[in-house]
Amino acid sequence: MGKPNDLVQGTLDLLILKTISLEPKHGWAIAKRIQQISREVLQVQQGSLYPALHRLEQKAWIKAKWKETETGRQAKFYSLTAAGRAQLEKEAENWSRLSAAINLVVETT
Amino acid sequence: MVWARRLWLRLQTLFRRERVAQRLDDEVQFHLEQQIAENIAAGMNPQEARYAATRTFGNPTSTKEEARDTWGWFWLEQIASDLRYGVRMLRRSPGFTAVAVMTLALGIGANTAIFSFIDAVLLRALPVAEPEQLVVFMWTAHAQPKFTGHSGYGDCDTRVTECSLSGRFYETVRAQAKSFSGVAAFAGPLEMDLSGNGPASIARGEYVSGDFFSTLGVKMELGRPLGREDDSRSAPPAIVLSYGYWQRAFGGDRSAIGRMVRLNNTEVVIAGVTEPRFTSLTPGKTQDFFLPFALSDRVKSEWWGDTDRYLDPATFWVLIVGRLKPGVSMAQAQEEASGLFRNEMVRGAKPLLKEADEPAVRLERAAQGLNGETLQIAPMLYVITATVGLVLFIACANVAGLMLARAAKRQKEMAVRSALGAGRRRIIRQLLTESVLLSMLGGALGAFVAVWGVQAITKLISSGFGEGFPYVVRLDWHVLAFTIGVTFATGILFGLAPARSGARAELTAGLRENESYVGRKEGRAARRLRLGDALVMAQVGLSVVVLTGAGLLVRTLHNLHELNPGFDTRNILLFGINPTIAGYRDEQSAQLYHYLQEQFAALPGVASASYSEEALLSGAWSGFDVHLDGAPPNTNVSTAVLPVGLNFFSTMGIRLIAGRTFTPADFATASATNRAIQTAEERSQAGGGTADRVSQAQAAPIPVIVNKAFARKFFAKENPIGKHMGNAEYEDEPAKGPQPGYSIVGVAGNTKYADLRGELRPTMYLPLVRNSAHFELRTAGNPTALVGLVRDIVSRVDKNLPLFEVRTQTEQIEETLFQERVMTRLSSFFGLLALVLACIGLYGLLSYDVARRTKEVGIRMALGAEQGHVLRMVARRGIRLVVVGAAAGIGAALGVTRFMASMLYDVRANDPATIAGVAALLGLVALAACWIPVRRAMRVDPMVALRYE
Repeated sequence: MGKPNDLVQGTLDLLILKTISLEPKHGWAIAKRIQQISREVLQVQQGSLYPALHRLEQKAWIKAKWKETETGRQAKFYSLTAAGRAQLEKEAENWSRLSAAINLVVETT
Repeated sequence: MVWARRLWLRLQTLFRRERVAQRLDDEVQFHLEQQIAENIAAGMNPQEARYAATRTFGNPTSTKEEARDTWGWFWLEQIASDLRYGVRMLRRSPGFTAVAVMTLALGIGANTAIFSFIDAVLLRALPVAEPEQLVVFMWTAHAQPKFTGHSGYGDCDTRVTECSLSGRFYETVRAQAKSFSGVAAFAGPLEMDLSGNGPASIARGEYVSGDFFSTLGVKMELGRPLGREDDSRSAPPAIVLSYGYWQRAFGGDRSAIGRMVRLNNTEVVIAGVTEPRFTSLTPGKTQDFFLPFALSDRVKSEWWGDTDRYLDPATFWVLIVGRLKPGVSMAQAQEEASGLFRNEMVRGAKPLLKEADEPAVRLERAAQGLNGETLQIAPMLYVITATVGLVLFIACANVAGLMLARAAKRQKEMAVRSALGAGRRRIIRQLLTESVLLSMLGGALGAFVAVWGVQAITKLISSGFGEGFPYVVRLDWHVLAFTIGVTFATGILFGLAPARSGARAELTAGLRENESYVGRKEGRAARRLRLGDALVMAQVGLSVVVLTGAGLLVRTLHNLHELNPGFDTRNILLFGINPTIAGYRDEQSAQLYHYLQEQFAALPGVASASYSEEALLSGAWSGFDVHLDGAPPNTNVSTAVLPVGLNFFSTMGIRLIAGRTFTPADFATASATNRAIQTAEERSQAGGGTADRVSQAQAAPIPVIVNKAFARKFFAKENPIGKHMGNAEYEDEPAKGPQPGYSIVGVAGNTKYADLRGELRPTMYLPLVRNSAHFELRTAGNPTALVGLVRDIVSRVDKNLPLFEVRTQTEQIEETLFQERVMTRLSSFFGLLALVLACIGLYGLLSYDVARRTKEVGIRMALGAEQGHVLRMVARRGIRLVVVGAAAGIGAALGVTRFMASMLYDVRANDPATIAGVAALLGLVALAACWIPVRRAMRVDPMVALRYE
């Protein structure tokens, strides 16, 4: 739609975790999926994506594995760990609380 | 399990960093290619697809970097890269690196070696168990006790205090004192004749009490220590060997235990060997073995006479140490010991003092009280320490200067780094790494130099001690750590110099090229150069101080070598013989010497032979008082005395000024007189009357020869030949027996007696008719070639007569000059080292200066300046530094060398010739150091200089 909005680090984490919660994906696929589902509103820059992915990996919320894609290329697929699943729930809950609060403020005044 | 996984990942990024980085590259590459594929699918051609993809991708490098940032261990990576860069930078300037590292190494190594040595010699704790508890007994009184005998063996500083006591007092203390958990006594060492282990030899034995080893806590390497049971006179005689002597004389043979040997003709058994680290209780003394006091009646010195030396309360010769009981203070123990002493002195079996004389005992910690021969080496060591400290200072200044110069060159580099985004801390950390690297290299090399240096110094100084250097010298790790710390600090401090300026945000100034001649404003460069100037001047000044000290010592040694001692020192073989410990009595000794003298004189290659009680310039001398005829009663004059044999003066090349030398008749007279005196003494001791008039007639005055100093001092207005002098008269000791006195028959030229440095003493020469003797053989060729023949002759006469102290007169002189030689060698070495360092510093500074002003020089030459002008410009700075530094150095030297005055001979501490010489040497060398940069300045091609950006 317009320029991609600045995504706070925490929300990027949430998006990534959610995106790979169903099935493992590589970095390219994650970015594409987020773009797709958000109807082109959220476009994740590579400059933010990969650092985020590596940070999450270091925190052991996601784990990575090199596998072959459909086209026969080698790619690094990320998936959720058990701790990551717990983190996802926590972040999702945080986000709904936060957004609900913001909504209240915006709509009431 | 999350933490486990995290840990695993952390370890992976640390140890498999390359692989992980590679994977990241692949990942990013994959993403890029997917984007390209998508673009192509959207209809672009491959070229456009690629461009579009790369554009949208952004900067892959920064992406990768940010990803890497999450991996942690960042600091480690940075340090590793800092180290790599540091190594590269050091390798890029090998000259600087080599000089800096060697300077640091030398400074560290030399200092550590010297301090380790000093620690072992001056400061090391006593090699016994818990030395702080040991106290040594000293005594004081207002009057001199009426001794029968009084000896010291160099254990304590007798100028300050008295530590010799009687064996009887020791027994009293051991029996009655309650403040000590153990009391031990020792005396000596004394030279004894040891036979039964190869040819008879002289060995040095220390008398000890039975509980000596147990009180001190000395362990045995082999066998058993001496014990209380050995204190009994009836116990089978036993001795304990010192470890060093066991190695030297017995080859470390374990079967030496239980072997019988003879000491002065008494059979003793070897009971044990002490542990290696126990060289002696008193630092600096050695002995070959220990024997119990109980043997002192059978194994004795020739000087002792017939009284029981150990039990005689009036013979003071024994040192007492005690171990304080836990809980007892030194004051308490001192009180008790003092009381016992007072009792013994005033009310004992043989009262030696009155109550009013206040005899008292003072206790002192053994470590302080027993200083022995250390006192002799102390001044030498202090001077060496000062010298080395100065050189270390110079070395640090040198390194500092080098680093400053290098920092100035790297100013531009620092500015570029800042401009590229390096934070101040990052720059400082990188510079720090370089300095630390340099200091580490210097420190590692310095440790090697220290280890080697300790061995070298020990070998150098112990070579003057003959056998058995009495100290165990080991590398002192504390000192090493300290000196490494100091040099680290210096290196780091000055290595950070570029950071202090370069890390500030004044980038444009640094990036500009032409700062060099932007003038002599208060630029950072100008300030840094002033500091560099100061450092070079300091180095030059300190070098002058060290060189002046060295120069003074060199001249002292030269003066001592050139000194005429009053006799001909060339080609004389010296050796000693001590027949009394092999059982000879006076008459037999005199006959023996006479016989040997004839035998030696008959040897081919021997021009003449003689003997004397002491060899000249051997450090030993004796003297007594005489009463001049016509002087008031009970007033005496002191004179040095040397008993000599026939032909002494002709053998030694001493001029006879008046009268005659000794004849065999003189020896007969002297023998007869001595015998008469001895007989009278024995009779009066056995209870006879006073002066026995009968023997008076048989006691003729002993013929003596005096030296010129004696004649001038005591017979200034008259001819001394034929004059008579009386034996010494003492008010409280009326004469017993005949007092024949002396009759002067000749006057000889002056010679130095005990040492080269002492003044010429009035000396009286007597015929030698008893005691031990040192032979002097004047040879036609090399004296040492005759040693074998001499030994043959002596052993043919008596197998049990060992020779000792075999050396040539020149070797003897060199031995007495040992300290001077060592000092000269060491100080010259360090002086030259200081000079080299100062010149390196000067050279570094000047060549940097030239490099910096290349452009200025080029412009000047392009504008028409002659070469001479350029030369003066550069040299002026160098000369100014040297002159100012040298002037300061001379001033400092004048102030400092006065502390060395006691070591100098015939040279003033502010000797102008030496100072002028040093200044000239420094000037020459410094000029040479200036020369190279100056030539480089002159060869500057103006075009190249101007074009060089």
